[in-house]
Amino acid sequence: MSEVHRFVVTGAGDPSAVLAGLAERAGLRVVSSTVVERTFLDTADGRLDAAGIVLELRRPLEGGASPTLVWVEAERLVATAPLDAPTAPRFASDLPPWPGAPHLASLMEMRALVPGPVTRSRLTTLAALDREEKTTARVVVDASALPDGTELPVLLEVHQLRGYQREAEKLEKLLVARLALEPTTTTAAANARRLAGAPAFLRSKLRLSLDPTAVAADAWRDVLRELTAAMTANFAGTLADTDSEFLHDFRVAVRRTRSVLQEGKGVLPPGARAHFRAGFKWLGDITTPQRDADVHLLDLPGLVQLLPADRVDALEPLHELLVERQRACHEQLVGDLRSWRRARLGQEWAAFLDGDGPWPPDSLDGDGGHPDGPPGADAPDASRPAIVVAAARIRKAHRRLVRDGRAIHAGSPATALHDLRKDAKRLRYLLECFGSLFPTGDVSVAVKPLKALQDTLGTFQDTEVQAHALEGFGDELVQRGAGAPTLLALGAVIEHVSARGAAARRQYAERFGAFDSRAVRGAYERLSDDAEAAT
Amino acid sequence: MKVLATYNIKGGVGKTATAVNLAYEAAIRGHRVLVWDLDPQGAATFYFRIRPKVKGGGKALVSGRRVLDEIIKASDYENLDVVPADFSMRNLDLLLEGSKKPLATLRRLLKSVAHEYDLVFLDCPPSISLASESVFRAADALLVPVIPTTLSIRTFEQLDRFVEENPEVVEELDVIGFFSMVDRRKRLHRELLVDLRQVRPDLLDAVIPAITDIERMGVHRQPVAAFAPGTRSARAYSALWTEINERL
Ligand SMILES: Nc1ncnc2c1ncn2[C@@H]1O[C@H](COP(=O)(O)OP(=O)(O)O)[C@@H](O)[C@H]1O
Ligand SMILES: [Mg+2]
Repeated sequence: MSEVHRFVVTGAGDPSAVLAGLAERAGLRVVSSTVVERTFLDTADGRLDAAGIVLELRRPLEGGASPTLVWVEAERLVATAPLDAPTAPRFASDLPPWPGAPHLASLMEMRALVPGPVTRSRLTTLAALDREEKTTARVVVDASALPDGTELPVLLEVHQLRGYQREAEKLEKLLVARLALEPTTTTAAANARRLAGAPAFLRSKLRLSLDPTAVAADAWRDVLRELTAAMTANFAGTLADTDSEFLHDFRVAVRRTRSVLQEGKGVLPPGARAHFRAGFKWLGDITTPQRDADVHLLDLPGLVQLLPADRVDALEPLHELLVERQRACHEQLVGDLRSWRRARLGQEWAAFLDGDGPWPPDSLDGDGGHPDGPPGADAPDASRPAIVVAAARIRKAHRRLVRDGRAIHAGSPATALHDLRKDAKRLRYLLECFGSLFPTGDVSVAVKPLKALQDTLGTFQDTEVQAHALEGFGDELVQRGAGAPTLLALGAVIEHVSARGAAARRQYAERFGAFDSRAVRGAYERLSDDAEAAT
Repeated sequence: MKVLATYNIKGGVGKTATAVNLAYEAAIRGHRVLVWDLDPQGAATFYFRIRPKVKGGGKALVSGRRVLDEIIKASDYENLDVVPADFSMRNLDLLLEGSKKPLATLRRLLKSVAHEYDLVFLDCPPSISLASESVFRAADALLVPVIPTTLSIRTFEQLDRFVEENPEVVEELDVIGFFSMVDRRKRLHRELLVDLRQVRPDLLDAVIPAITDIERMGVHRQPVAAFAPGTRSARAYSALWTEINERL
């Protein structure tokens, strides 16, 4: 197969000039040399980067040609497309009609492409030609700089062409002998990010590695700090509504924070704990309407697909209604997030996470909270080993989930399953936040069947909520004068949704059975043993 | 992977020009494309500046000793590779007759590279023969360039008859016809365009006019859109590909 070998040009001077000198001997000819402004695009969490894909917008700085979107993967130019619009594509649906676009779309999902670092680059392509003037190998020189003039390492690539391996090898030998080259695997995109000091890609998984010998109070604060970092990282994107994942991840961090506060009984000072539990409950609540609106919009394409093609258009009024609502909810949320109350919560929280002393200090008057005494006074578990405290909380949450789950039978009301979902969430958050205290093997055995159980419980509840919401939209559409086709289509969709919920309900026994198996219970017991062994 | 064969019993109607230019057009739109030059004359191979030589000859390829993978050459363009013609493959028919399952041979060879390409263009020599039957079996569609002449309707009649008489060979083959080398200054061409469309309403809307740029491919040894991007000839092939792509 055709390969690409990439090098960093380590010597000083312009390699293009050296190459021009070599042109005669190596049979090289410059086939193109352009100066472009490149903008590297990726989702905020770097999904393309993780898949080894570079997507970039190239604006020619000479000649006034239109910008091109370029997709490079595994060093191969996969596809290019001239852009009609002056702006880069944002969502998967804005991608050019490339045959491979569905693959990019499946990576991006609901995430938007956000512009990353920008470079000004001279891209020079030289071709090695045979007697027929056929290209047998290519050399690409990439000399890029950041807008402030900082130069990126000059990259030189030798592209082998299929069926002409020997020619490329010969050329590469010659270049290595004449130029100071060092093999490299980093890309211009990665170099640009590094030199521009671009923020790291967001990640929705927590990357904690807690010290099992630490005291609980320290471990709890470490987790809370990490969660605060996640909220901060997603705050701007939530305000700008860049894509729905920012708010989603912001909410996850808030929920995890609430859960860690809840499990902080005996670890954190009670006054502060009560005060912030109320604060984060409020913060979570104000984000709910927009999240619901986002979910309705995200689900719509999947629902539309359930309909026969000739009825798809009938749902357009529903789409318009959902977009309107989402906008209204977002405006409301922006107001709330910019409110004095939110700012004050943020300040108090930062002070709490930083401070060793009592909270709130006298200067801050916690609403409803009692000033706490010195640490440890009302928090008997604070100075116990974190792993012991965490293991005890996990054991308790696990027992409760097993007890309540076993009580559920075919005739149990829906609310029993919804309550069980809360039990499951509680256990899951504990494992996510404190799992790094334990050996990874035991944690993953414990988490897997729990995740599957949660999926089933989630589908059951979410489809019920969704069907209910869709009924509500139906009423609203009637008031707006929607026609019979729209309502019929909506009815068909509601039926599908309910059927999915019923299927999840039937799946419950099997999923819970897998969770309540001897092997999994053993893994949970081992977590307690691990805690004992560690102390 | 879709296999498209440019086909016409007659020579000089624009089969090779079509294969080369559509392959280029599809490649720049992001398809991974392979052009297989089945014509021992090697016109497509020449346009891509590749030396027409298959090591060990076409015989080794057909008999299975060599795999297609070893013979493929990159073109000068991204996403576009070529199986060059072989002068020793003078008579593909004779070679195929010598193979155990002549009709399945091309198909089997193509299968071996199916994961690497989205599209294959088979550039066929004229005539209906064992080689053509193999092509019909391997292809998903025939692209049939038609010069508007009073006789060109017979091309379709012959093809239709073949398809009718050989259902087992042809299976699901889409026959896609379009006008080639149309000279609108000729009254006869203008009239025939109208008349022939009435007889064959399935002919594509896109038309490839007779343009000197296309003739000059032999001088440049490049697809038209590579040496004359944005010109009338490049746009004609682009429109043709859009229409064919929609139909596939
Ligand atoms: N649309 C066209 N306008 C002008 N010349 C053409 C056109 N299409 C093909 N030609 C020329 O006509 C000749 C035959 O075309 P070719 O594609 O090789 O036909 P075939 O493969 O059917 O034998 C070639 O010299 C080619 O350059
Ligand atoms: Mg030909």
